[in-house]
Amino acid sequence: MINLLDLLVHPERFFSALEGKEPDLKIPAAIALAGAVVAAVAGYAQSSLFSEMFSGMGGGAGVGAFIGIMAAVGAFFGFLVIWWVLMAGVFHVISMMFKGSGNFTRTLANTGYGLLPTLIGSVITTLILYTYLPRIAVPVIRNLQDAAAVQKAMQEMMLDPAMKEFTQVSMAISILFLVWSANIWIFGVRQARGLTLKQACITVIVPVTIFILYMMYVTFSGFSMLGGA
Amino acid sequence: MNHRCVLFVIIAAMVAIIPVSAVEQQTAAAQVMVTNVTLDPLVFMTDDTGTVTVEVINNGAQSVAISRVTMYDEKIRVQSRAYDTTMYLGAGNRMTFTFTVSAPVPDGIYYPVFSMDFRDAGYLRYPVKLQVQDKPLKVSILSKPDVFTGGKKEQVEVLVGNPRDNGVSGVIVYPTGEGIDASPSSIFIGMIAPDQSQKVNFSITPRQSTTLEIHVDYMNGINSHAEVIRLPIDLGKSKIRAEPILSNIQIERSGNTYSLTGDVNNAGLEVANAVVITTGDSVVPVDPYRKYVVGTLQPDDFSAFEVTFTAEGTDRVPVEVSYKDNDGNLYTTTTTIDIPLTKPGAQGTGEFPIVIIAVILVCAAVIGGIVWYSWRKR
Repeated sequence: MINLLDLLVHPERFFSALEGKEPDLKIPAAIALAGAVVAAVAGYAQSSLFSEMFSGMGGGAGVGAFIGIMAAVGAFFGFLVIWWVLMAGVFHVISMMFKGSGNFTRTLANTGYGLLPTLIGSVITTLILYTYLPRIAVPVIRNLQDAAAVQKAMQEMMLDPAMKEFTQVSMAISILFLVWSANIWIFGVRQARGLTLKQACITVIVPVTIFILYMMYVTFSGFSMLGGA
Repeated sequence: MNHRCVLFVIIAAMVAIIPVSAVEQQTAAAQVMVTNVTLDPLVFMTDDTGTVTVEVINNGAQSVAISRVTMYDEKIRVQSRAYDTTMYLGAGNRMTFTFTVSAPVPDGIYYPVFSMDFRDAGYLRYPVKLQVQDKPLKVSILSKPDVFTGGKKEQVEVLVGNPRDNGVSGVIVYPTGEGIDASPSSIFIGMIAPDQSQKVNFSITPRQSTTLEIHVDYMNGINSHAEVIRLPIDLGKSKIRAEPILSNIQIERSGNTYSLTGDVNNAGLEVANAVVITTGDSVVPVDPYRKYVVGTLQPDDFSAFEVTFTAEGTDRVPVEVSYKDNDGNLYTTTTTIDIPLTKPGAQGTGEFPIVIIAVILVCAAVIGGIVWYSWRKR
């Protein structure tokens, strides 16, 4: 029987309990799928801003619905691929430098377990997103062919005070829960790949730190990138 | 016998004396000649009335008896009566005779005859040269604006030329026309010598499309004449008027208030005075920039401006630029600008929400505690 409390609070004890057992992907996959669903919901909710942005055009409602579906699907598979498969692959590759043993399935399973705090963080940020959405002022585009107008509208929306505030809040929460997940991944990778604690820390902390720096960069510098300036 | 003798002597003396006196009269009359002829006007126009003054002098040593002085011609009409009273022109004296004539004739040179009949001594005939020239004054517009603008004062330069062989007097030029204000109302030129011209300037302010008439009144002698030239005025836009152009327009929204900023350029060739920028009726101007006074804009000059307004139920804002020309005429141009549509967001307090900060702090504390706890347990 999986003890999720141990996973969150005593990850070392949790993964120690899995030693000697065949890796089981059902629960990690369930966690990853749950996270993907939450990401899809958040993506669809954010796409409503774009629906409003294109509401001034003929057929704007259709464009908005299309963008919503694409955002939801993209967020769903993006979460699965980036947060689970890609992250597990990165851990697996880095651990190879430390001559780590154990197959990728176990790394994938343990990485999936570590996504539980990220899932919790995604739920919280999604709930916060719904409180911010009504406060975000959205420029309306009349002509999709006018690239300059589209770019300007995107820039204005990203520079909206409420949008900036939400982005910073979600970044802070995501980083906090990512740290929590990293803490679990350290013990998970050590158990999956037979590494020392130091090697496991390096294997996990390096990519997670890079990812956190990337998130901060996008948050504080990415507004102008999105605006094309 | 004595009575008969005396009567015979008297008759014989009379017969002898009379022929001697007639000869003397003819000799004296031959000394009378015309010394000067004056015409007023010097050159007549068709149907003009004037005077012909003939001066005669008696160069002889005896006075001459004049029984009748007159002037006649088949075409030139002599309106004054003949001098029918017997008069004497003393030795060495001058005498003038003036006749009023009219010329109901076409152009040409005519010779009405001055006739002076002497008593018992024949007559004097003297043809007087009288020129009739039906050339009026020539009026031309030297300069005018390409386009007249309603209410805008424009300069019109008029040239009055005298192609005649004599000068004309009392020349007055005045413009007229419906809905036209002219300054000055008229200009007195006075005399214009032959083959001379005179320029005059008028400030013309049309209020409507009309016809400007430039009248020229003048006198040829005692005869009044008038010339007129007509200039159609179709109101339009002046080619050199100030032309404010808006550019670099940006609209930003802050709450329910829009702030429209941009540049206003004077792309015309005249100065735009008292330039004021405001918004039209479909939106409501609000403080702090209900109106923006730019002031004077020289040609090719520009100035930044800002107006603030609220817009309900419209996605366009008419921006009105008003200015005055040098005559104080007010012009207004309106430029319609699209308002970038924005789905208005609910107004926040502008401060980072306390609840969110609390959530982040709680998460940080919990996660930090869990991580610390998970490592301490080792």
